[in-house]
Amino acid sequence: MEFLFDSFFSALLLLWSVDPELVEIVSVSLKVSSSSTLIASMVGVPAGFLIAFREFPGKRLLITILNTLLALPTVVVGLFVYAFISRRGILGVLDLLYTQKAMVIGQVILIIPIITVFTISAISRIDERYRKTAMTLGANALQTAWIIIREARFAIVAAVIAAFGRVIAEVGISMMLGGNAKGFTRTMTTAMALEYDKGEFVLGVALGIVLLTVSFGLNIFFNYIQGRARV
Amino acid sequence: MLYELSNLKKIFGKRTVLDLPHLSVEAGRIVGLLGPNGAGKTTLLEIFAFLSGPTSGEVWFQGKKVDLENNRLRDLRRRVVIVQQHPIMFTVTVEKNLEFPLNIRKVPKQRQEEVIDELLDLVGMREFKHARAHNLSGGETQRIAIARALACSPEVILFDEPTASVDVENQIAIERIVREINQDKGISVIFTTHDMNQAARLADEIVFLFEGRLAQSTYENIFSGQILPGENGDPYCLVQNKLKLSINKGKLGPVRIAINPNAIQVSQKQMTHLRRTPSKVVWCS
Repeated sequence: MEFLFDSFFSALLLLWSVDPELVEIVSVSLKVSSSSTLIASMVGVPAGFLIAFREFPGKRLLITILNTLLALPTVVVGLFVYAFISRRGILGVLDLLYTQKAMVIGQVILIIPIITVFTISAISRIDERYRKTAMTLGANALQTAWIIIREARFAIVAAVIAAFGRVIAEVGISMMLGGNAKGFTRTMTTAMALEYDKGEFVLGVALGIVLLTVSFGLNIFFNYIQGRARV
Repeated sequence: MLYELSNLKKIFGKRTVLDLPHLSVEAGRIVGLLGPNGAGKTTLLEIFAFLSGPTSGEVWFQGKKVDLENNRLRDLRRRVVIVQQHPIMFTVTVEKNLEFPLNIRKVPKQRQEEVIDELLDLVGMREFKHARAHNLSGGETQRIAIARALACSPEVILFDEPTASVDVENQIAIERIVREINQDKGISVIFTTHDMNQAARLADEIVFLFEGRLAQSTYENIFSGQILPGENGDPYCLVQNKLKLSINKGKLGPVRIAINPNAIQVSQKQMTHLRRTPSKVVWCS
């Protein structure tokens, strides 16, 4: 147990000294995860809205498939994207493997189902009368959609935060598609995995603290805006 | 004519909810749709609001046939607004709720401010301008919903059971507002109610709906009778030469009366006492 406490104190010192390597790793992590969350939200929120609102054949099947994809293992996404972007893959000429872009692609695939499914459930819970009220007040289809999304805003933001939490904490995709290259694709989680392999825990524990602090901060922020809206 | 419906049917599954061979509504008036729950009042009102089309039949609005297949119903929807039975507020402030129809109509910002204040004064809710709209009571919500509907500057306002979920004080206020909307602003009003008395108080014309059809008699509970002096001095009302109703007061002569069904007590013998003290008692001679 002693090594954990020792590492913990050394980790706090490392954080206190604002170690440049640590800062770099954290910023790569935040940059990649925010990009993938942003892109996935731009796809997932409208997709969730359309699926919730439209009736079409195969709707239930689609929702079932999306629910299944919530449990998608990161290594499966990693392998799948790898098959496309490796030298032998059909997108191999784009030279994407072991870049931040490759990580973003993998992470977007990972969390689109999360954002879509939670948006569907958020939109479905909104009372039918919101749609009718917006329409009778003269709104067109887009303005009506905006009203409904606005009513579901907290549930949708919660979905986006959950998706961000999923990508910032995942290892499989970052490792397989990013390659843990120092200064380029080394994220908090891949760095921690490496430190573990080396048997060095100080940087690992420090990154663990940062990771949890980021999630904690996000949730505090979310609770704050949600609380304000309920007053 | 404001609305004309012909051979209109609305069918949900196997149930025919509306079956109206012909119905016309005149402009500029307050029209009450009276009927019990499930009579099809709300369905009819939503057709008037162009929120849903009939299963079959024709709708004419201000002399023009409405193309119900067309996606351009929004243009008509901008001339008619419905205030639903339990209106919902967007979860923003009262002011933002009123801004929504104004923004859609691209009313300039400075003008919006004036319109909002004027409408809140009309419904007596000025001090709630910055309140969170979803925290209001039923009656307050109803009043803000009316203000929000008026912000659309509609030609027609449809009210679905405007006072069903409000207390008596708000009920009086809302009925006053409905009258003002019609008289001062010249907006045609159609409202639904299951309350006979409210229909009589508020409406210039009453349409009676029962099980999706127009009922023959609008005044199902209105009888002609005569108030006559009784043998022992108490006047009574004679209805259709059969029914004697003892009454508390009333001028002698021909009258039209409604009998409160809750006040009817059935007895094989003539009753000398009343179990309750309704104003009228009925017995058959």
